[in-house]
This record gives sequence, C-alpha cells and structure tokens, in this order.
Amino acid sequence: MTVFSIDVSDVWKSFKLPHQRQDTFKERFLHPFHHVEVEQLHALKGVSFSIEQGEFFGIIGPNGSGKSTLLKLLAGIYVPERGDMTVIGRLSPFVELGVGFNEELSARDNVRVNGALLGLTMRQIEERYDEIVAFAGLERFMDQKLKNFSSGMKVRLAYSVSIRVEFEILLLDEVLAVGDQEFQEKCFETLETIRSQGKTIVFVSHDVDAMEKQCDRVMRLYRGEIVEIGPPDEVIERYMATTHSMG
Amino acid sequence: MPGTRNAASEGVDLAYIGRVLRVVSVADFKLKYADSSLGYAWSVAKPLAYFAVLYAVFGRFFRLNLGFKHYPAYLLIGIVLWTFFLDTTNLGLWSFVGNSSLLKKLAFPRIVLPMAASMTTLLTFAVNLIVLAILIAIDGLRPALSWLFVPLLLLELYVFTLAISVILATLHARMRDIGQVWELAGQLLFYATPIIYPVGFLPRWAQYIAFANPFVQVLQDIRAVIVPQREAMTVAVVYGSEAARAVPLATLTIMLMIAWWIFKRDEPYLAELT
Ligand SMILES: Nc1ncnc2c1ncn2[C@@H]1O[C@H](COP(=O)(O)OP(=O)(O)O)[C@@H](O)[C@H]1O
Ligand SMILES: [Mg+2]
Repeated sequence: MTVFSIDVSDVWKSFKLPHQRQDTFKERFLHPFHHVEVEQLHALKGVSFSIEQGEFFGIIGPNGSGKSTLLKLLAGIYVPERGDMTVIGRLSPFVELGVGFNEELSARDNVRVNGALLGLTMRQIEERYDEIVAFAGLERFMDQKLKNFSSGMKVRLAYSVSIRVEFEILLLDEVLAVGDQEFQEKCFETLETIRSQGKTIVFVSHDVDAMEKQCDRVMRLYRGEIVEIGPPDEVIERYMATTHSMG
Repeated sequence: MPGTRNAASEGVDLAYIGRVLRVVSVADFKLKYADSSLGYAWSVAKPLAYFAVLYAVFGRFFRLNLGFKHYPAYLLIGIVLWTFFLDTTNLGLWSFVGNSSLLKKLAFPRIVLPMAASMTTLLTFAVNLIVLAILIAIDGLRPALSWLFVPLLLLELYVFTLAISVILATLHARMRDIGQVWELAGQLLFYATPIIYPVGFLPRWAQYIAFANPFVQVLQDIRAVIVPQREAMTVAVVYGSEAARAVPLATLTIMLMIAWWIFKRDEPYLAELT
C-alpha cells in the first residue's frame, strides 16, 4: 500500500479583483450600499492529485499558471475555496523566494523569528544557528539588516532555515531562481540527503534540466488546470514543445 | 481551516504560541526602538511630559487641583492608562498589514501578531506604573487592602484594549485608511473621556454614556481605590445601583464577540488581503 503525504481533491482557488478600489473606510462610509463589480480570477480550477511519501515531486508551468498558489494552499497560507486537501506530516515551506522575512530586522533576528514560526524551540534555534549561517555562507553579514542583502543572499539564508527545521514535507518554490552555481550544487546535495531520509519534496522550478534529473514525477499546470502528471522526461519534453511552438 | 486537514497541526500548541509570541514581541520591540535607545526613553517619558503640561495648564491655571487634594495622582493615573490604551491600539492596528511578508509566507496562528504588538506597549506600561507608584507615594497616599483590585482592573483594561486592537488590525487589512480614522477617533475620545477633568464635569446623560465604556469604568475604579475622594464617581455611583457594573462588562463582552467574529471571518484571507 502506498502512503500519501499530500492528497488534493478538486481544489479551486480564485482571487477577487475589484474593478473600482473600495478598500478605504471613506469609500464605504460615503457609499455604504454601493455595489462593486468584482472580477474573479481563477488561479486554480479543480486540481486533484496525490503525492506519495518520500516522493520528489516536480511542478512546471508558465508564469501565472498557479504553481505558487498551489504551494501556498498546501502550506496553509491560503485556504481553498472549494475542495479538500490532506497533508500528512509537518511542512517546511519555502515560497515566494523564501520564508517570511522582515527587511528592517537583522539577519540574526530573522532567523530566530522564522525558526520559531517554523516550530523550533529556543534551544533548537541556538543549537542550529551556527549551522544555518555556515551553510548559507553568511557569517560576516548576520548583524546586518536584511534589506542590505542581495536576493541571492536572502534565498541562501531562507533555504538554509527551511531545511533545518523539523519536517516531513519540504515545499520549494523557485529556490534556484536567483542562486549562483555553487549554491545550486549545495542545494542538490542537501536535497539528496533529505530524500534519502524518506522525506517528501515538492519542487517548483523553471530549471527543466534539474527537474528531469531529480524528480520522480512531474506535474504540468496550465492556467490553473493540470495538463498531465507523469515521468519527468516525457512531461518536460511535451512542455518544451508547447512553449516553443507558442514562442 | 475549511477544506485543509493537516494531521501534524491539529489542536492548539500553547508552547508553540508562547515561543512565537516571544520572538515576535522581541522583534517588534527592536523594530520600534532599535536605532534609538532615546526612542524607548521617550516612550516611557511621554506620559510624564503630558502630565507635566496638563498639570500646569489644568491643575494650576484652571485650578482643577483646588477641588481635590490628590489631583496629580488622579491625573497621572488617567494619562498612564490612556497612553497604554492608545499606544497599544495604534501599534496593534498595524500588526497584520505591517507583517504581510510573514503572513504571505508562513502559516501560523495569526492572533499572535496583535498579541505580540501589545507586549511592547505592555512593557512601557509596566515602567510607567512604577513611576506612577513613586508619585503616589510622594503624594502621601498609603497602600490599602483594596489596592489588590488594581491588577484585576488592569487585566480588564488589557482584554478590552486587545479586543479593540484585533478589530482595528483586521479592519485595516480591508481598509487602508482605518489608521487615519482611528487617529481622529482617538483624539475625540481623549476629550470625551474624563481623563483630565473629573466625571462630574460631564452632564448627567453624558456620564451614563461614558460609563458604558470599560475604559472609563476601569479608570474610575482604579482612581476610587487609590485616591481617597469625598464621593468617588464609579459606575455604581453614577447609575445609582451596584447592578450597573454589568453595563461596562456588557460592552466588553460585545467587543470581544465582535473581535472574535471579525477575526475568524477574515483570518483565512489575511495573506491575500495584506
Ligand atoms: N494574492 C493574489 N491576489 C490576486 N491575484 C493573485 C494573487 N496571487 C496569485 N494571483 C494570480 O493567480 C494566478 C496564478 O499565480 P501564481 O500561482 O503566482 O502563478 P505561478 O507561480 O505559476 O507563476 C496569476 O494570474 C496571479 O496573478
Ligand atoms: Mg510562482
């Protein structure tokens, strides 16, 4: 019997885009019964799939196809409008170029806040702190405010935190997008270890070569719908064919 | 959360919430005062500066201090409590919108954000209470057994302040000008509330309304306990019945219910709204 980590069944998510701005008290006070036309943007239109425990599961698709929305739903940051999702195990989410950071705080404080939010105890944070910093290679920068970090440095730090919390499922959204070659290699090394521990990895990326090499299965999204789920080489080949024929 | 089941996050983990509250409060404190130790000194000194000015104007110039012996203590209690209420709600108002980067990237019990915001002002409040205690001692007031009610009254004030903070923070996610609205409301409330003047200055009907506000009830109860007066104006005295104590408590309950309802309604969407 296969053990599921994630089971998603007919999940829908849309965002409301009001045509006129009505997000002020003044507007509501002056026009309390004014009806605003709202456009629904359907980011996900009834997606269903399951991910097995220990699987390295890739998600590809053009910009705006709903990949990040799906990861945020899995992480519990958004709630589905319809449908059910079951997640078995603790999650470590890395979405939108990293875990939640406050630009005005030092990198050190950001690690503490995020470590605690991701479920570490104070003691665990202290114990793992040096490791987190060393892996990110940011020893000299930890007292600086995060706003002085380059996007590459932020991703290194965020990734380093995400993989050192307690989890069974790792969600990675474009972790490779801004890192350098050396960081990418380190990334894959750690992912290999995580995988060998039997943990589940959900991997969103535009790096099709990496996907083909690493993933057990790949899912292709297009405009909020699943096009197909299958072996990496086949799914990627057809994906490349469509993007090329379109471009 | 509707539609999402996560075996690992079922039930409320109080130790987790406590840790998150701690790190987020420390972070908030640093954000507010990191670059200026003077900033913190000012937040502590601010009520005292107000006190000095208001005492000079109202106590001396308008001779409010002739009416009662312990006007300084009476006034300072009002200012310290008001400063706590206003500072906490003003900071709390930003607790979702100002932390949108956390809301958009991590799932955690959202309620810790307004709670953490209150910790910073709670610390300042504690320091101010010490200053208040010193002034009260200098003023020649001696502790009595009835002072034991004060912590309970402060707890009531804290709960009320937190309820208002949660309502404001949640509204702020939907209406970005709520800060301006609250700033104006705060100024009006300051003058409508018997902080610098005695309750007796208000017309009868206004006293009834004022005492529906838990802030006024707490303020007057604390004053009644600490500052001996000929006739302390508490909610029971003003309404002429002990049963009237239920009036501000009813307001408090309603505010808590509104806070809970509005927060529960919008909690799942805070990541999208901020
Ligand atoms: N918070 C939001 N508010 C409004 N629209 C959103 C929001 N998040 C995503 N969208 C929209 O949903 C669609 C899918 O976005 P996203 O999941 O980020 O795609 P991807 O990660 O695949 O590039 C896009 O059209 C995007 O504009
Ligand atoms: Mg994306």
